[in-house]
Amino acid sequence: MKGSALASRPSVPGTSRVPAAFLIAGAALLLAGSWLGLFVAPPEHYMGDVQRIMYVHVPTAWNAMLALTWSFVCALMFLWRSDWKWDARMESAIEIGVLLSLLLCIQGSVWAKPTWGVWWDWDPRLTTMAVLVFAYFGVLTLRRFVDDPVRRATWSAAATIVASADVPIVYYSVRWWNSLHQLQSSPATVSRSFYLPLRMNAFGILFVMIGLMMLRTRLAKLHLRSELAPPLISSHPVSDSEPRLPGGAR
Amino acid sequence: MNGAIQGGWGYVWTAYGVTALMLIGYAVSVWLRLRAERRRLAEDTPGIQ
Repeated sequence: MKGSALASRPSVPGTSRVPAAFLIAGAALLLAGSWLGLFVAPPEHYMGDVQRIMYVHVPTAWNAMLALTWSFVCALMFLWRSDWKWDARMESAIEIGVLLSLLLCIQGSVWAKPTWGVWWDWDPRLTTMAVLVFAYFGVLTLRRFVDDPVRRATWSAAATIVASADVPIVYYSVRWWNSLHQLQSSPATVSRSFYLPLRMNAFGILFVMIGLMMLRTRLAKLHLRSELAPPLISSHPVSDSEPRLPGGAR
Repeated sequence: MNGAIQGGWGYVWTAYGVTALMLIGYAVSVWLRLRAERRRLAEDTPGIQ
């Protein structure tokens, strides 16, 4: 790993209003999409009104997978570039990915009770999803317990890469194994009347997720800056206060 | 009985309610943590906002 980039602290996080714009646009799309899904779209033939849960469940699933895939990219980029900004982005992606995955499991349970008759079933899709949530929760816990910023970033990047191996397994689990969970839908298998609320909510959650990730990355950068800041009064040279990588690189 | 699920609006409202609650709750938590971190940083390094 290159050590030179870790010698400096992460850049000062900006204070632009772009995250707020994403949050407002996302909330507006979510409100409009949910209104269409709840009051305009017709009930599904067999699931009836319970199918309306799909207008938030499916977009949450897409975006949870996107956030966790992004955390994998950030982990790789951190190990390759040794730049703190990728560690901050990884932390934010994991936290939001775990939040959306938990939300996904709750929505799925609420839908499963009236349709399957149970809140939870250990079928391949749900089991691999539970493994994914616990694995990423483990990465967050690891970050909590390691004080040294360099070790924390390196170890959690490696753990994130391992945990993310489960993302494609979750996606393909319904095709690889005999699963109670239905296969992925596509425009060819979904009626036109269901498109609009599904897509509006998908973009709504995407925009909310981007806005939250930008804010959470700012928070992670601020925290890193204060962790890596040289002490105000020190008898030692300033450079000695910064974390040193094996081999003397900083 | 035609095999279709009847009713179920309680489940629908629960799913949408939990979604709104978790997203709004997390947004508020990020905003509060960001504000606290900025305040702490400003106190630690006077002159920097």
